[in-house]
Amino acid sequence: MKFFPLIFKNVFRKKTRTVLTIGSIILPLLVICLMGSFLSALNMPDPAQTRGMFRIVTRHKVGLASPLPVSYAEKIRQLDGAIAVTKFNWFGGKYIDDSARNFFARFAVDPETLVLVFDDATITSGSANDWFNDRAGSLVGEDLIKKFGWNIGDQVVLIGDIYPTTIQLTIRAVYKLQNEPSDALFFNRKYLEEVLPSFQGNVGTIWIKCRDGAAATKLADEIDQMFENSPYPTKTESEKAFQMGFVSMLGNVKLLVTSLTIIIVLVILLIAANTMALSARERVREIAVLRTLGFSSWKILTLILGESLILALIGGIIGLGAFIIGLKPLKASLMNTPISGFASAIKPFPEVLLLGLIITLLVGLLSGLAPAIRASQRPITEGLRHVG
Amino acid sequence: MDNPLIRVGNLVKNYHRGSEELTVLSGLNFIVEDGEFVALMGPSGSGKTTLLNLIAGIDRPTSGYIFVGTDEISSMTDSQLADWRSRHIGFIFQTYNLIPVLTAFENVELPLLLTPLGRVERRKHVEIALYIVGLSDRMSHYPRQLSGGQEQRVAIARAIVTDPTLLVADEPTGDLDAKSAEEILILLERLNSEFKKTIVIVTHDPRAAARARRIVHLEKGVLKEDIKAEDRGSVRLADSTLAFADVKS
Ligand SMILES: Nc1ncnc2c1ncn2[C@@H]1O[C@H](COP(=O)(O)OP(=O)(O)OP(=O)(O)O)[C@@H](O)[C@H]1O
Ligand SMILES: [Mg+2]
Repeated sequence: MKFFPLIFKNVFRKKTRTVLTIGSIILPLLVICLMGSFLSALNMPDPAQTRGMFRIVTRHKVGLASPLPVSYAEKIRQLDGAIAVTKFNWFGGKYIDDSARNFFARFAVDPETLVLVFDDATITSGSANDWFNDRAGSLVGEDLIKKFGWNIGDQVVLIGDIYPTTIQLTIRAVYKLQNEPSDALFFNRKYLEEVLPSFQGNVGTIWIKCRDGAAATKLADEIDQMFENSPYPTKTESEKAFQMGFVSMLGNVKLLVTSLTIIIVLVILLIAANTMALSARERVREIAVLRTLGFSSWKILTLILGESLILALIGGIIGLGAFIIGLKPLKASLMNTPISGFASAIKPFPEVLLLGLIITLLVGLLSGLAPAIRASQRPITEGLRHVG
Repeated sequence: MDNPLIRVGNLVKNYHRGSEELTVLSGLNFIVEDGEFVALMGPSGSGKTTLLNLIAGIDRPTSGYIFVGTDEISSMTDSQLADWRSRHIGFIFQTYNLIPVLTAFENVELPLLLTPLGRVERRKHVEIALYIVGLSDRMSHYPRQLSGGQEQRVAIARAIVTDPTLLVADEPTGDLDAKSAEEILILLERLNSEFKKTIVIVTHDPRAAARARRIVHLEKGVLKEDIKAEDRGSVRLADSTLAFADVKS
């Protein structure tokens, strides 16, 4: 491109102004990228980064003691935004005796879907497959294992009360949750179904892993609405009050971030457009000279648009580069804060970088458009007589 | 010598100033032979610049025709005109009008960017043009690092680098001191005699006009006088000795 040196030299004609303009593209772009990444991290998370997030739980509206039809789980699973669904039944009963020391949570569950919904759990010993394959096997929290001094292969006998049966379980795997106590025992609901046919068809709570925060908010309402007029109305909540607040806030945050982004883009646009307008106005005469030499209106138009594009691209590339480089230290600094979970999910999302690039190109083209059209359409003789 | 390069007929140019209509050129006829060096003179506001701009194809007549060679430029579209100018016109301005952010070399190269010439060929053309105007040693200087006379010579190099059919100059010595003006005029004269360039200059300066082979007077929109060089040979001789003395001192 033989016109490139001409364009480039024009971009840097007024160095201070150019540097200031580029700076006023870089900084807002950084802000936009950060906000965009935050939204992306919340919104379209990488499953590996969002274990344990966006989980909601459905129970009977009246209370935990009232079961729901088991078919609800399948209905919920078919809703958009539900990644995995699993069923919990509170077994209750007793271990050894009724003392507080020997009390812990015991659930009859679907092993295969349990690990999908509770994807934040890690198996610390034994294996999930061993548990899947042994109908009388159990998955036990690490805290419980320590408390009772159990080992893989040990037998645990539970005497039922809600469900009048005694079950004998073999410990097949040990789990650990990251930020919560790991103190429950899980066993296969099929085992209970076999020994207690009346158990079939009921489920205590249904846990749903949602695609993202928006899906979690949406599904919570959707599920309750779906069953509102059935004999078994539901109440769906986020797993934790914290997440609940967070998830419901998400809609507002999104709106806020989107409007801020638009405002910032408009500000960049105004600044860049002002620079381009000034720069073109200072050169009315030069542009007339170029046209006298035989540069067509079209060529003048592309030269000026080229200038505004290069100006914006320099800012955009530096801005996006700084963002990519600065992300690591930023994440590191957020690691020990309450939002560390989200911080670790933030990365240079392609869609955020693409957005940055699109904004850059848009600013480049739009900021130069008016001056370019004006300069290319002004009569040459008028331009030549222009003083200033 | 009967080989007209420029043929202007019934040329009318009106300007609108608000509701008023100002007639600058009213039915002007004008012929310039190929290889001529014509000076356009006349009082301020008589329409010299207007006529020159029309001939150079950067302005459009209200009516009438303008032929340069076989091209009727008065009927071309804007983009045709732009292309035509790039191939046929070398324009020299009173205020040089070099691009300040470009070096002398790059300024002269500008018109060549519109041609299909490659980088190496462009360089050769620029070097020759700068050599002709005597500025081979100033190629990488920026306009602000040059004197007015040097700037105008760079501008002339820019005007001749594409080897145009016609050179037009609007008061090319108007901003220069006597000595620099003389150098520019000698250069133009050389371009005319040595390189056979057809030149039309607008000037107020009788000494500049004296360099031309022919002087045309414009007054109130019409051609008033047309003195052939043969009629004023003595003036020319006197002037050139004067110039010679000037250059020597
Ligand atoms: N774009 C324009 N709009 C209106 N009037 C114009 C325009 N250009 C020139 N004129 C008028 O046309 C007349 C002729 O102008 P022109 O520039 O051709 O004169 P000139 O002979 O070159 O004068 P000078 O010797 O001062 O350069 C002047 O009265 C001028 O004011
Ligand atoms: Mg004039």
